[in-house]
Amino acid sequence: MNIELVVNGQPRVALVEENTLLVDLLREQFGLTGSHVGCDTSQCGCCTVHVNGQAVKACTMLAVQADGCDVLTVEGLTPAGSGQTLHPVQQAFSTCHGLQCGFCTPGMIMATVDLLKHCPQPNDEQIREGLSGNLCRCTGYLNIVEAVKVAAQTMRGQP
Amino acid sequence: MKLSRQEDLRLVTGRGKFTADWHFDGQLHAYMVRSDHAHAKIVSIDLEQARAAPGVEAILTAQDMANAGFGAIPSGPDLTGVNGQAQKKAPMPVLAQDVVRFVGQPVLAVIAQSPQMARDAAELVMIEYEELPLVVGVHDALQDGAPQLHASVPANLGLEFESGDARAVEQAFEQARHVTTLRVSSQRLVGNPMELRACLAVHDAARNKTVVYTPNQGMNGMLASLAAVSGWPLETLEVQAQDVGGSFGLRSGAGPEHAIVMLAARQLGRPVKWVASRTEQFISEWHGRALTIEGSVALDADGRILAMRFNDWVDLGAYICYFAGFIGTNNLSVTMGGVYQVAALHMRSRLVYTNTVPISSYRGAGRPDMAYAIERLIDQAAAEHGFDPIALRRKNFIPKEAFPYTTANGTVYDCGDFHGVLDQALVLSDYAGFPARRQASAMQGRLRGIGVACYLESSGMSRAPKDQVSCEFDADGTLTLFGVTGPSGQGHETAFAKIVGDGLGLSAEGIRYRPSDPGHVLVGNGTGGSRSLYGAGSAFKHLVARIIEQGRPHAASVLGVEGQLLDYQDGRYRDRTAKAEASSISLPELARALAGSKPHPLNCQADAFSGVTFPNGCHIAELEIDPQTGTSEVVAYFACDDLGYVVSPQLAQGQVHGGVVQGVGQAFGEHAVYDQESGQLLTGSFVDYVMPRAGCIANVHTAYHPVPTALNALGSKGVGEAGCSGSLPALANAMMSVLLPMGIAPMDMPFSPVKVWQALRDTAPTQGL
Repeated sequence: MNIELVVNGQPRVALVEENTLLVDLLREQFGLTGSHVGCDTSQCGCCTVHVNGQAVKACTMLAVQADGCDVLTVEGLTPAGSGQTLHPVQQAFSTCHGLQCGFCTPGMIMATVDLLKHCPQPNDEQIREGLSGNLCRCTGYLNIVEAVKVAAQTMRGQP
Repeated sequence: MKLSRQEDLRLVTGRGKFTADWHFDGQLHAYMVRSDHAHAKIVSIDLEQARAAPGVEAILTAQDMANAGFGAIPSGPDLTGVNGQAQKKAPMPVLAQDVVRFVGQPVLAVIAQSPQMARDAAELVMIEYEELPLVVGVHDALQDGAPQLHASVPANLGLEFESGDARAVEQAFEQARHVTTLRVSSQRLVGNPMELRACLAVHDAARNKTVVYTPNQGMNGMLASLAAVSGWPLETLEVQAQDVGGSFGLRSGAGPEHAIVMLAARQLGRPVKWVASRTEQFISEWHGRALTIEGSVALDADGRILAMRFNDWVDLGAYICYFAGFIGTNNLSVTMGGVYQVAALHMRSRLVYTNTVPISSYRGAGRPDMAYAIERLIDQAAAEHGFDPIALRRKNFIPKEAFPYTTANGTVYDCGDFHGVLDQALVLSDYAGFPARRQASAMQGRLRGIGVACYLESSGMSRAPKDQVSCEFDADGTLTLFGVTGPSGQGHETAFAKIVGDGLGLSAEGIRYRPSDPGHVLVGNGTGGSRSLYGAGSAFKHLVARIIEQGRPHAASVLGVEGQLLDYQDGRYRDRTAKAEASSISLPELARALAGSKPHPLNCQADAFSGVTFPNGCHIAELEIDPQTGTSEVVAYFACDDLGYVVSPQLAQGQVHGGVVQGVGQAFGEHAVYDQESGQLLTGSFVDYVMPRAGCIANVHTAYHPVPTALNALGSKGVGEAGCSGSLPALANAMMSVLLPMGIAPMDMPFSPVKVWQALRDTAPTQGL
């Protein structure tokens, strides 16, 4: 099937099988390998992207379902060569040492960006809820939770 | 834009490169056909339909591997047991021949043009099995008449090992006033790094090299295992990895899939890639822990420890792979006295084959398990015989002045300050204020407990003769460091650049570290046993001195003075006899000035030999149990660790956090559970296997009580595994501090809500729970 979609602001067309997952389209056809595959039960959240402004696990969606959609991946938060500084969430993850191996990080960041859009000043419970679909094996989450709070502050304009 | 680590920019922007992210034109894809039986004879294999399926390029069988001269997966060192008995080793074949011995064991590999085609073709493979009796669990496996896994291993007993002096221990127990015995289990876990296991082999005919892209812990270990499995000369192999998404001990060597892609890539002349699914990860990557330890302690009337004795059962899984034997012998026994002065020690451990996934290293690899057994035993003894658990520990600590201290089974601890560590932890946690907090919790209907654990572990020994590192300067003076220890999240690029930057008086930001670069083959260890920082780090410290000395004559020549008149300070060579800044040159300036000569005159190598160290600490956990639901919440956690010299407090804290939360995972949720009847893994996905999630613990406080070691140039002891060693006993002791006084018997991890709720209900029906 042919589909048309916008990925990180760029219009794209693709020829996909009916059973191709969105994450495989992004990774294999578009070379956007920042979205990672960490499980086969939609538990780990490493493949989290935004579809029409909503956080979605890209392994739970068929590529054909993204026909006509606007998709944002971690690469699109700060396009390479755009001269843009990092997104406040990306910056906060580094500042707070909220990543170690970095495999879960793109999904964590995309989930956090979504969380802060809906909940700009999250408390611990809301952060726990907002990241409940994302697994990390290295950090113990403590610095990730801290990073979410720091990013929230920055985005509210409180340095 | 200031980033914490050199690794971070690429990783937060999605530009990291993990093994699955590599792509080569024309690459083929492997899919493993795995056993769905725990123990069965392979009666017949019919590949006719599968071979004819669209896109299939090859199907590899055990016979193909044998024909190509491939051997078994490395089975670790040959160990000696009681009375000089040789270990009975049953190494794991790449592909099962005749018999399968665990669910998930690879039987065949289908190589096709796409992952989907390989998977679809695999569905057409017809294997006829004849089921055999199976056994899950070490105690059942040792029963008379238990199903036998290997003809070469009678009674499924791979080794009976002992350490220490059985007779001395027996005599001490005869004289003891108090004796306590406690059997604990450190249950089987699935390590689950977030990056899925993967490998991609590319044969470069022009260079006669097969390049294997794969997550690893350092090139030398991975290369050695690839060569051992294939029988191919080392010089025909190369290992590549840019980013590695966690490892925790699991990825130091090759698995069956590596052998498959290597052989297929050479035979088919095309790159061959394999990426696991998480399901495959659960049923085929080495599991961890799976240790049962029965400890006994003999005390005199005052609570002085006279002796300790351990009986261990080590579940090897179906085959012996990599470090399993070492875990069950050396790693359990090397620090079996913990932080205590114990005159007599003895351990006996039994290494047992069962129809389950083979075991290898997982964060700590026997050390956290032993710390867990010791520290639970001490608390149990205190509870049984009416001692205060803190006072009992203090009475038996090895005092500062006793170092170097040789344990009763021959381990030499070089240094430590166990009283100081405990003091600091007690203050940090406001231990004295606990009764009031327990009261406050009780008012809310919650049961509050506190657990203290004083752990000690040994870091990994050097398997290589030394740790060697090197450096290169390029035309603009940029310094690039090379080493062979492989990071998987620890921040090596940041830590090693900091060691060299601090030493040279230069900003670390301009210094790069490239791990396991195939163009820079060096002697040295991989990551493991918490030793990268001080192993390679000590070599980098020596490298600093080497660079300064190597630059001195060149700086002297540029400045027109005698070399011995030059001081090196804050990144500059200065003529100490001159006042003017003109008679000085910075290292980067010198490097740029010398860039015309090839190789660059400042390029050099250095090495270090670093001994085994003894990281230790006191962890204190406070938790609340909701008696209505059995759920536990860790409300406060304090880790005071003696890691020796701490290079980067932020990175060290990250390691402690990660280790502690892996401990939280084991204490409250994680458990690889097998069905006794079918040998199927019941917790084979993230839906069934309880991984720690965000917010599972908050309020974690870390502190350091450094007693630098003289056994390496940095003075560091290692941090990677400390969090697990401290957290398992601290969390369990906190749990037991609630349950034991209620008359509930000692319990094993994981302390799942249902288990805790049932125990509370069964034991305290009159309390209205």
